[in-house]
Amino acid sequence: MLESLDADLILDAVASVLLVIGGLMSLAAGVGLVRLPDLHSRMHAATKPQVLGLLALLLAAAISWRSWEWVAIVLLAWGLQLLTAPVSAHVVGRSGYRTKHMRRDLLTHDELASAVERISRDIPPSRG
Amino acid sequence: MLDIAVHITQVLLAIGAIGSVYRIYKGPSVLDRVISLDVMLIIVASMMIVDMVVNDHQDFIMFVVITAVIGFLGAVAIARYVVVRSPEEVASESSEQDPYPAPPLAPAIPGAAAESEPEAPHDPVSTPRMPGIEVEEGEDESTSWFSALTRSGFTPRRHDDAPADDDASADAEEAPSADTAARPPAQKPSKQEDRDA
Repeated sequence: MLESLDADLILDAVASVLLVIGGLMSLAAGVGLVRLPDLHSRMHAATKPQVLGLLALLLAAAISWRSWEWVAIVLLAWGLQLLTAPVSAHVVGRSGYRTKHMRRDLLTHDELASAVERISRDIPPSRG
Repeated sequence: MLDIAVHITQVLLAIGAIGSVYRIYKGPSVLDRVISLDVMLIIVASMMIVDMVVNDHQDFIMFVVITAVIGFLGAVAIARYVVVRSPEEVASESSEQDPYPAPPLAPAIPGAAAESEPEAPHDPVSTPRMPGIEVEEGEDESTSWFSALTRSGFTPRRHDDAPADDDASADAEEAPSADTAARPPAQKPSKQEDRDA
């Protein structure tokens, strides 16, 4: 009796911590979306609740339900999110670079610019 | 303990949602709104998860799964049709505070571009805009390749390991010719104005 009560307490504590972590990720995304100056830096903030925040919240839900079946469904949902979030981030970032939705003066180093310049100068790449 | 955590989480999610809504309202471009909408969708799913934790049911779990599956389709579909930002817009945004000046960029073809205009003003504000001509003035040479590619509606091939060189060389040959054809009539008046002044 006492041991089960302790297990309940521990599981509730873990679920509570995970819930708050998920909420903090979403808070970080909101603050980052408001404060950051650039499309790509805003994308950096926006991916926080998509992967880690969703994982924390889903694990908290699965722990609070106390069932292994829902853990499988929860991990399925998180795995699908993990598959599709990079796709949208890649497409949005590429489109943002091509259409110049970025602050070039805030960059310290633009690795893609040298590649683009090399191709547009029609110098064959040295390697490969 | 779980109740307190749920309240804290709801407050944090609400603040995140407010920030996302602010960026959707304020966002200067459609891409900012797209990523903010993605965050908004995730926050709605998170709210449903919190509700499932509170009331101890599993009714909304399929929403979370389907959100994970199809949530990226909107961003992918919209990102295909973003217009190229105009140089005035870029200049108006970055000319307010310029603590780090942009590194000097060499022209795409050093011989052709340098001969046609020795002191080509790269300030995008002073160069006039010409409607109907493909190559925009005052554009970075490093990105004009991308933007010309975007404007032309060219779709690259899937496996472009070897053929990418041919496309790139053809593109690089086309771009300077349009460049030299477009620039001299537009910039001679501005150069004379500079000399008069």
